[in-house]
Amino acid sequence: MSVAQAEAKELEVEQPSGLWSDAWRRLRRNPAAWAGAGLLAVFIVVAIAAPLIAPYGPQERVGDLASVPPGPSREYLFGLDEQGRDLLSRIIYGARLSLIVGVVSVGIGLSLGLVLGALAGYLGGRVDSIIMRLMDIMLSIPGFLLAIGLVTLLGRGLFQIMFAIGITTVPVFARLLRGSILAQREADYVLAARSVGTPGHRLLLVHILPNALAPVIVQATLAMATAIIDVAGLSFVGLGPNDPGLPEWGAILAQNAARLQNAAHMVFFAGFAIVFSVLAFNLLGDALRESIDPKMRT
Amino acid sequence: MLRYVAKRLLLLVPVLIGLSFLVFIFVRSLPGGPAIALLGERATEESVQAIERQLGLDQPLPVQYLRYARNLAGGNLGSSVLTRQPVSTELRQKFPATMELAIAAMLFAIGAGVPLGFVAAKRYQGVLDNASLVASLIGISFPVFFLALIMKYVFAVRLGWLPSIGRLDVTRSLAHPTGFYLLDAVLARDWDAFVDVLAHLLMPAIALGTIPLAIIARITRAATLDVLSEDYVRTARAKGLSGGVVNRRHVLRNALLPVVTVIGLQTGLLLTGAVLTETVFAWPGVGTWMLNAIRNRDYAVLQGGIVFFAFIVVLVNLVVDLSYALLNPRIRYR
Repeated sequence: MSVAQAEAKELEVEQPSGLWSDAWRRLRRNPAAWAGAGLLAVFIVVAIAAPLIAPYGPQERVGDLASVPPGPSREYLFGLDEQGRDLLSRIIYGARLSLIVGVVSVGIGLSLGLVLGALAGYLGGRVDSIIMRLMDIMLSIPGFLLAIGLVTLLGRGLFQIMFAIGITTVPVFARLLRGSILAQREADYVLAARSVGTPGHRLLLVHILPNALAPVIVQATLAMATAIIDVAGLSFVGLGPNDPGLPEWGAILAQNAARLQNAAHMVFFAGFAIVFSVLAFNLLGDALRESIDPKMRT
Repeated sequence: MLRYVAKRLLLLVPVLIGLSFLVFIFVRSLPGGPAIALLGERATEESVQAIERQLGLDQPLPVQYLRYARNLAGGNLGSSVLTRQPVSTELRQKFPATMELAIAAMLFAIGAGVPLGFVAAKRYQGVLDNASLVASLIGISFPVFFLALIMKYVFAVRLGWLPSIGRLDVTRSLAHPTGFYLLDAVLARDWDAFVDVLAHLLMPAIALGTIPLAIIARITRAATLDVLSEDYVRTARAKGLSGGVVNRRHVLRNALLPVVTVIGLQTGLLLTGAVLTETVFAWPGVGTWMLNAIRNRDYAVLQGGIVFFAFIVVLVNLVVDLSYALLNPRIRYR
């Protein structure tokens, strides 16, 4: 057996470990990832199974109208609101709304951002400068203010609000993907693929994008957290969904912010619902970032 | 360096032009247009036309834009529908309040965040380190208005230690030549007022500063860990410098570079947060002013506020970029 043969055998034994399997291994060992995934699972289950879990309907009146809404009791764990509705049920149904807002608005921002970022990064040149200058301009307007402006412009429908929040995330995704693509474009494996005659669109979709996506996934997770906070913030400044009956957490909080003396329980339960759902995405996003980029693990 | 400054300033021009264009389109597309916004929905056809002529809205769009851009460049942001005052005048009155709040919040965030992150890094993976990591993640998960409400409930409603709204007790009179009440109190040598202003400022500033605090602590920690493993730190220790000197001159000085960037990036967040914090504490700043504008459909004010905030964000980022050169001579600008 020649030396070359012996070396070849040794090389065969070594399993190639890819980016994703490495990341997955690191993720599983991270307690923050488990905590985030657990919280997120609770959030999603509550949102989907709201009608099964909630003791009452979100609009159902179980108590009397009261200027001082009754606080938590054995019968109504989170107390009632001033219209005699069960707060626990409203908060459970509110999870649906927050989840939908998070998913849809990040979905909108992500898809627009990906298209723009991919175009800029892949085509380069003038297209790149125009898109990126536009993104710079959008980034110079603080995200939440941009959302305020857009909602004023488009109206206070639920979809308009999700669209507005989505738009604010576009520049971040576009920049991120562009940077990633620029880095990947010069990589050896892309050169290899190009040299065997892979056509341009295939190069982008099959080779570059999957490798450039890792940071985008992290950002998407964190953007969900921001989206939930932003929709609550919009409600808080009076630009939430225009149906006051909707059990939106931010709206519940806003409606009672002025009467902390009497309705503190409503503010707290709605507020902590927001905090926990946001924390779930933050924990998970943070853990994902660490697992994908071990250099960030400091 | 000078060439770099000039280049950065030049790069601002397209951004500012683009921004003004976006805002121009924004206001022109508002439901009903500016004339209806001025006159209300029940305006008659003639009065709408009269206003449109008066505002030059009957002119072609490019002409309108040029006029608008010229006004903007001269600092003219139009007039408020509600008070009939120029937006720029109102902005000048409201801005010091927001500025004072934002500066206080940032001082709190930096003052607590940098040492916290530094100590966490020095005790890497110790109890304090892990606790501060968890705390900072929880910290950034709080909506600023919720945090503000909790503080208000605990310290103002329940305990009654701090005033819950405004910048100054209503019974107190204080001349405010600068609009920065702390400064005004010092100028007037009115120390009771100074304490009162400080008491009013405390809660909003801490509420607004908490999220930046969490972020700054995290970045300081990460940056310090990076620097601690550098050869020059080992060298400094090996040649017998005291721990304090190494920490100050070698570690902290280099670790602060990314922190400065983050502080710059926080400006947008801080201004947004200020809008929400001001609402909770009835703080008479740009935030409350803009929210009133939303409620009253005072679009000129809203537009002015957004342009102004965007301008500040652009400006601060410029300053941050330039301050790199001062903090880190290794960076050479071409």
